Amino acid sequence: MKRYVKGVGMTKFSVESRTTQDMAIEAISLALDDSNLNINDIEAVVVSTVDTKVNTERQRHYPAVLSSLLKRKMPIIRVPAVCGGGGAAFWTALRLKYNNILVIGVDNVLAGPTPIITKEIMNAGENLWEQEEGLNFPGQNALVAQQHMLKYGTTHDDLALISYKNHLHGSMNPKARFYGKKVTLEEIKKAPIIASPFNLYDCSISVNGAAAVVVSRDKTDIKVIGSALATDYLPPFERPDITTWQSSVEAGKKAFKEAGVEPSDIDVAEIHDAFTIVELISYEDLGFCKKGEGGKLVRDGYVNLDGKMPVNTSGGLKARGHPISPTGVAQIVEIVDQLRDRCGDRQVNNPKIGLTQNIGGAGGTATVHIFRKIAG
Amino acid sequence: MAKIIRWICEKCNKKWIYPISRCLYCNGEIKKQIGMKIKVIGFTRIHIPCPPHPIVPYNVLLLEDEYGNRMPKKTIKDYNIGDTYEDIPSKEENAIAITKIKYDVYEAVKEALELIGDIEVDRTNKILIKPNLSIPGYPYLGIGTHPEVMRGLLRYLIERGANPKNITIAEQSFFFPFDKAIAKSRINQIVKEFGVNLVDLSKTEFIEKKEREFVFRVSKIVYDFDLIFNVPVIKTDMLLGIDGAFENLTRFLSKENFNEFVRDIKKAIGALAVLPNILPRFITIGDGTIGMQGNGPAEHGEPGFYNMIFAARNPVVHDKIVQEVLCLRRLPYVELAGKLGIGEYEVSKIKVIGNELDAVRRDIKQPIGSKLIKKD
Repeated sequence: MKRYVKGVGMTKFSVESRTTQDMAIEAISLALDDSNLNINDIEAVVVSTVDTKVNTERQRHYPAVLSSLLKRKMPIIRVPAVCGGGGAAFWTALRLKYNNILVIGVDNVLAGPTPIITKEIMNAGENLWEQEEGLNFPGQNALVAQQHMLKYGTTHDDLALISYKNHLHGSMNPKARFYGKKVTLEEIKKAPIIASPFNLYDCSISVNGAAAVVVSRDKTDIKVIGSALATDYLPPFERPDITTWQSSVEAGKKAFKEAGVEPSDIDVAEIHDAFTIVELISYEDLGFCKKGEGGKLVRDGYVNLDGKMPVNTSGGLKARGHPISPTGVAQIVEIVDQLRDRCGDRQVNNPKIGLTQNIGGAGGTATVHIFRKIAG
Repeated sequence: MAKIIRWICEKCNKKWIYPISRCLYCNGEIKKQIGMKIKVIGFTRIHIPCPPHPIVPYNVLLLEDEYGNRMPKKTIKDYNIGDTYEDIPSKEENAIAITKIKYDVYEAVKEALELIGDIEVDRTNKILIKPNLSIPGYPYLGIGTHPEVMRGLLRYLIERGANPKNITIAEQSFFFPFDKAIAKSRINQIVKEFGVNLVDLSKTEFIEKKEREFVFRVSKIVYDFDLIFNVPVIKTDMLLGIDGAFENLTRFLSKENFNEFVRDIKKAIGALAVLPNILPRFITIGDGTIGMQGNGPAEHGEPGFYNMIFAARNPVVHDKIVQEVLCLRRLPYVELAGKLGIGEYEVSKIKVIGNELDAVRRDIKQPIGSKLIKKD
C-alpha cells in the first residue's frame, strides 16, 4: 500500500459548545495548512460523525453538510462506527482511488446532562440484551475488568497507573481537555465509584471536537505501512473469551503482517483507552505482552513517556478527551506529530514507527494503523 | 425459571443471540437452546443514572447457564460470584410476573404465565381472549395489542392442549369500524393463521348485571367461557392515566352503557373499580412490547418501547404495578378497587416475580392531559 499522510490538524478537545461545522472548518484548515494544500486539491472526503440526538444540530446527512461547508461537489462519504468511527474512516480512505483524500472526524456530543449523554452513548450497546438490562458502557467494561481480574490477577492499582500515566501525558498536550491539570495517583484511587470496580478515573471523558488528516498517494515523510479493520460480535458476553477483544487481535495481526514489523518495533502508540481496562487488554491483544501480563507492562513502566514504548502521549481518551468519532483521527494526529518531532514536552525520543488502535463499542469494530517515518 | 436463550444450528452448532430462520453456513435448521441452570459469574454496581434506568445504584450481573451462554441482568439485589440465579413461580392472587422480551415475544409470554403458576388447559376448555383493538392502528404504533403477543399466547395455549376451535378473540370498538381495527392491527391474520374464532362484541347480546350502585350491560358471551385472558396493550391515556387491565374490560359493556359512565367522571371511577366483580375470573397479560407514552392515542401519544410482558391473576395487582413501573401518578380507580378489596393495592404486599420492580422502573412521557389523576 503506497499511502502517505500529508498533514494533520485538530481542534482543542473541550467542553465548549461549538457547532460541528465550526469545529470541522478549524480542523480541516489546520490539516490543509499542514499539508500545504488548499481545499481545491482535495478529491474526496471521508467523514465520521455520530447521529446524535442530544445537540441542537440533529443533522443526519452529514456528507451534504460538508459539501455546503466546503463548497465542493466531490465524493463525500460518511463512515460511522461509534467510538471507532475515526479509525474506520481513515481505513476507508486508504482504499479509495483518489490522490488527496481528507479524513475528518467531528462530533458535538457534550450537549446535555450526564444521564442523557450516558444513554446516548449506551445506544452503541446491544439493545434488548444490554441496554434494557442497564448495561451502560462503564458497566459493560467494568464486567470485563472484573473477569480479567479474576482470571489473571490484574488489580485496580494497575488500572490506576494507566489513568495516572494518561493524565500526566494529557497535562502536557495543549489540545487535551486536561491540559495543564495534573492529577495525583491518590486522587485517582480515591475517586467516586462509577461502575464497580471502576471509579471516575477509569472512564474517559466526553468532549466536543474535530480532527482531520490528509491522506495522499504523493510521497511524504509519513508512510502508512499497515492498515487493518476487523469486527467482532456486538456484546462482549456473546464472545468465547470476554477478556480478549478478538477484533483488536485480528486487526493487529493483519496490520503488523502488512507492515512487516513486530510489536517490539513500535516506538510510540495511541491505544483506545475508553476505559483503563481497554488499554490494558489492548496491550495483550496487540502482542505487546503475553495474555494476562498487561498489568505487569504498566507496572514496569514500559508504556510511560520514558518507557520503551510510550502509550497515549496525547493523554488518550482519558485526558485528551473522547468526542466519539474524532478520537481515531486524533490518534493519527498525535502519532504523526510524534514522528515529526513536534510534541513539545511530551515528545518521545526520536520515534520511527508509531501505531494507532481505535475501537468502536466494546470491541465491536477495531482498526489498527502503523506509520513509519521516512525520508520525505 | 430464569432463562438464557440462544438460537443454535442443529447441524453445525453455531449460536446466535437473535432469532434467525436458517444457518447461513450449513443451511441447517435452527432450534432454541434454553439454559435454566444459571449462575452469577460477575457483577458491577452502577452509580450513573440514565432515563431508562433512573434509580441508582443498581447491579448488573453477568450470568452463565449450563451451556456456557451468558447474559447481563439488571437487579437491585446483591449477589456474589457463584450464586444461583432463579425465579420462584407463584400462583398467589397478589403475584405479578414481569418478563423482558429478548427478541422472542412467545418466550416472554410463556415465561410470564409460567411464573404465575402456569395455566392448565385441555381440549374441551372454551377460552376467551380480549385484546385491546379499540382504535385502528398498525402494530408499530402501540395503539393496540401487538399481534406477536396474541400469537405467543395462542401458541402457548395450543401447545398446552387447547383446541383452536374453542378459542375466541373478542373485542369491539366504540368509535371506529371493528373490521378496520381488526385489519390494521393484523389480528385478522392471526385469526386465520390459528383457525380461532373472532367475535365483534357489539353484535352480541348484552345482559344486565348490578354491582353496588352501578348497573352494567355486559356481553352475555363473557359468561360462556372456562378461561378468560384480558390482554391490554400498556398505553397511557389522557383521561384515565393508563389503559391497562381495567380499561380493557370496558369493551365487554355495551356502547350505550359505556357512554353513561364516561359522562360523569366520578361515576366512571366507581364503575371501573367494581367492573371486575361482575365478570368471571380472568388472567391479565399486559402487552408491554410496544406501548404508548405521553397523552396516549387520543392526543398525539407516541410509542413507548417497554419490551416487557406482565401477567397477573388480579387486575388491581396488574394495573398497580404497571403504574409503578411507568412511574405514573396515582390511578384513582385502581386505588378505589384496592380499597374495596378487589385486589392488593399496597406495593409492599404485591409479589413481583421475574424482574424486580425497582429494576424495571422507567421514566416515560406522562399523560399530562389526564383529568382523573389526583394531584399529590
